Amino acid sequence: MKATIVIRTIILTLVVDEISKVYAKHREGKYKGTHWWGIAKAGEPNNLVPMSPGMMHMDSTSMTLLRNKQRRMIRENPGVLQAISRGVNMALQECQHQFRNRRWNCSTKNFMTGENLFGKIVDRGFRETAFIYAITSAGVTHAVSRACAEGVIETCTCDTAHQRRGPYIQNSEPGVKDWEWGGCSDNIDFGYKFARMFVDTGERGRSLREKMNLHNNEAGRMHVQSEMKQECKCHGMSGSCTVKTCWMKLPNFRSIGDNLKDRFDGASWVMVGNAGGLRRTRRKDNAQNKHNENAQQNGMQQQPSAQQGQQQEHHRRGGRNRYSFQLKPYDPELKAPGTKDLVYLEQSPQFCDANPRLGILGTHGRQCNESSIGMDGCDLMCCQRGYKTHQAIVSERCNCTFLWCCEVKCSVCSYRKTVSTCV
Amino acid sequence: MSGGGVILENLSGKKLFVLVLVLFICQIGCFLLGGLLAPTPSTTDMVLASKCIYNQSNPWSYIRGTGQCVTHELGSYTSEYNLVANDIVFTFQIPTPRDGQTLDYSRWQQNMIGVLNFDIEYHTGTTMDRNFVLTLDTKLGYRNIGDRDDDWHLYAASVEKRNLDCVATEKIDGHNYQCSLVPLFELGSLFHDYYLINIKIPVDEQMGINIGLGHLKDVWLVVINQNGGFTYVWIHMKAIIFPIVVGILLWFWYRVYRLARKPVLLEQMLLIIGIILSCLNFPIESLSLYYDMPYMLILQDLRQGVFYAALLSFWLIFAGEHLMDSHQTSILTYWKHLSAVFIGCVALFAFEMSERGTQLKNPFYTIWATNTGTNLAMAFILLALLSGICYFVFLSFMIWRVFCNISIRRSALPAMSNARRLHYEGSIYRFKFLMLATILCAFVTMVEFVLGQVSEGHWRWNENSEINYGSAFLIGVYGMWNIYIFALIILYSPSHKHWPSEMDVNNSSSDTIEFSRLPTEPTEMSSLAAFSKKSAFD
Repeated sequence: MKATIVIRTIILTLVVDEISKVYAKHREGKYKGTHWWGIAKAGEPNNLVPMSPGMMHMDSTSMTLLRNKQRRMIRENPGVLQAISRGVNMALQECQHQFRNRRWNCSTKNFMTGENLFGKIVDRGFRETAFIYAITSAGVTHAVSRACAEGVIETCTCDTAHQRRGPYIQNSEPGVKDWEWGGCSDNIDFGYKFARMFVDTGERGRSLREKMNLHNNEAGRMHVQSEMKQECKCHGMSGSCTVKTCWMKLPNFRSIGDNLKDRFDGASWVMVGNAGGLRRTRRKDNAQNKHNENAQQNGMQQQPSAQQGQQQEHHRRGGRNRYSFQLKPYDPELKAPGTKDLVYLEQSPQFCDANPRLGILGTHGRQCNESSIGMDGCDLMCCQRGYKTHQAIVSERCNCTFLWCCEVKCSVCSYRKTVSTCV
Repeated sequence: MSGGGVILENLSGKKLFVLVLVLFICQIGCFLLGGLLAPTPSTTDMVLASKCIYNQSNPWSYIRGTGQCVTHELGSYTSEYNLVANDIVFTFQIPTPRDGQTLDYSRWQQNMIGVLNFDIEYHTGTTMDRNFVLTLDTKLGYRNIGDRDDDWHLYAASVEKRNLDCVATEKIDGHNYQCSLVPLFELGSLFHDYYLINIKIPVDEQMGINIGLGHLKDVWLVVINQNGGFTYVWIHMKAIIFPIVVGILLWFWYRVYRLARKPVLLEQMLLIIGIILSCLNFPIESLSLYYDMPYMLILQDLRQGVFYAALLSFWLIFAGEHLMDSHQTSILTYWKHLSAVFIGCVALFAFEMSERGTQLKNPFYTIWATNTGTNLAMAFILLALLSGICYFVFLSFMIWRVFCNISIRRSALPAMSNARRLHYEGSIYRFKFLMLATILCAFVTMVEFVLGQVSEGHWRWNENSEINYGSAFLIGVYGMWNIYIFALIILYSPSHKHWPSEMDVNNSSSDTIEFSRLPTEPTEMSSLAAFSKKSAFD
């Protein structure tokens, strides 16, 4: 009787496994693992129905966007789904804000048709792709850390690995006791680790493209971490500074976007080719781990050396050296890309004309700025194709004042405006 | 009981060395105890406010448990909800859950400080004034394990004004202002399990309340509380030190009591400082584990303040006693010098009571919130600072005079008999030795203080490093002053030993007449003080 149950379970598991594999193959495109971006749209309030506090029901379509591991992580961490959704939306808005004046303006696709949220552009290793990976990874890190601080995710870790557990025993759980003894680590620690596990799930191959993704994902997370600002408060005897306590403040996401945009402009072109482009650096894990944590702690830019998986997960799955690689710049004269630098494999196209194969919309019909000499200027934006101008009376909200709370007082300004549009 | 002087003078170099060595090892032990065993003195938790929509039927807004509130995002203002400022309650329910467990505050965590941090977005159309006066309608509640989810009890409620200084460093839309921290509350005891803070930022156009506040997106509360582990180590260290100091104090007083004379001023001072130190050492904090003692913070500050006052007075008298030529010295002789200490202490006490004393009634109160309060506090601190400077001028002047005297007498030393000379040279050496120890202790305290500041601020050591600098500083310095007083009490207690040289002195030396008065001194002062007196006769 027992045996049959066991066999049945095994068969069932195998079948389910097989089905999910086939399904995954069918659904996931060339670069799997990025479909989770879709929950940005799936996570809109209509699709998420609150069942009970902390628990969310997700419609099945958005659940299919996720890999098994990601699904498990969402199941095990109630409340994290909204955070991820918020994070991707934040990343998307930031991307569109940063690229509003460029030919490629971070346009999105309808992901429900099986396409990627950002379109086919992510199939290629462009600079823009690097930015998308980095900003989404940063978005998840930021949003999860934020949700931890709000107490929405109840499973945020209270990492006290370096805090010695106290000898005093009360009738409390080990975790509670550790907290009583030495407090908890920053929320960013959980945000960082969670984002690493969640975002990097898909990138387990050995191809250069996957290394590029891993690097850019990591760069996004590092930017969140290094933008943390330290603040302190004195609270010793009579409020004097004999005791001073410091904490790290989560940055505004806009400044992360700005920094990543800077890195985008100075992104490193790394070598295309065989695995020779990957110079494996295997060091002693311990030393690396220490170095990593130290660098993260100080919020300094890390050596462009290796990253090492911090979680048990990677160790268990033999992926311990997943982050131990060094990408080679295309031009050997140049410095190797650092942890916070973005890397890309291919020169970006001009983004002038629509290219359905690459998911590029082109700049036809985009508005441009006649007087600007920047990327949003009509010459550059329209790729010398010329542009139409017409006079229009535009009514816009203007002189807005934000009043606490929750009012935006704007006046409507109507003015004559010359609108230029690329042909 | 005959013989003169104190143990310090009669102790052989070897014994003194052993004693110093033992005390030094104890000192190292204190630093290691703080650095290795204890966690950081306090811990922070950044809590993000949940923006609850106010529900008329429930006085409390909370985000976990049955009856939780409906939350709202303030990222972009929309007309969809038609909210007004009074509808939004910034809610902090602490502690936040971790590892899937519902944490609760432990009484070992002793106290709690709350600091607010505002995220205000910059918009070109709406610029915020610097030094904005923020009005907060705050409410603090508590709940204990076993209470119902909605059974929040009121701890304190208050409408508070705070200065908020926001600067737009980059004047770009979408960036945040750099805003100053806003102190919210201080709790002297962490007696209950869960705390809830509800804050409203009401707007009243007629009264001009909160008009001109920018696009407020988020409010963060930084919760600072002492670490349970630190309290544990602290209380246990005190519990160990307390009986030792009391023991040595009894031993000391027994020795003084058995003398044929009345105790001299220096001995009285040693007794007083020993008693005050014992008060400081008494682990009264452990009572807060069983009783709600919100006045614990004041009590601690007071005990510490009284100890420092006693220590400062002791140094003055210590220096003065090695200088004075009149025999009947009483504490009144030093009233001029001691008044500096006294005025400073009274000023600090007034400041303490107006800040922490008022916080007993209203934990949201802070003297720094209003301009008059700030001026008053600054006046108190300035007065304390001035009397501190006066004190140090007095003290430096006295020490300088002692050293002058000593060097003058030293030139007279070669004329003395061999045994006498050796003895006085030793006394001078040991007096200087103790001066050195005092300076060293003060120096170590200052260096540790600076390092403690720096270690929190910049160069944090390796994350995995087991050494905890903040605790090493607090526990180490605490231990150091205990050891210092301990050494003083031992070395300055009256000696039972006869001077071995006395016989030789009495029958041979030419300066017998000069020194023979020493054993017959009615006060049996320490010979060094006598030596100084002798100098005055010359």
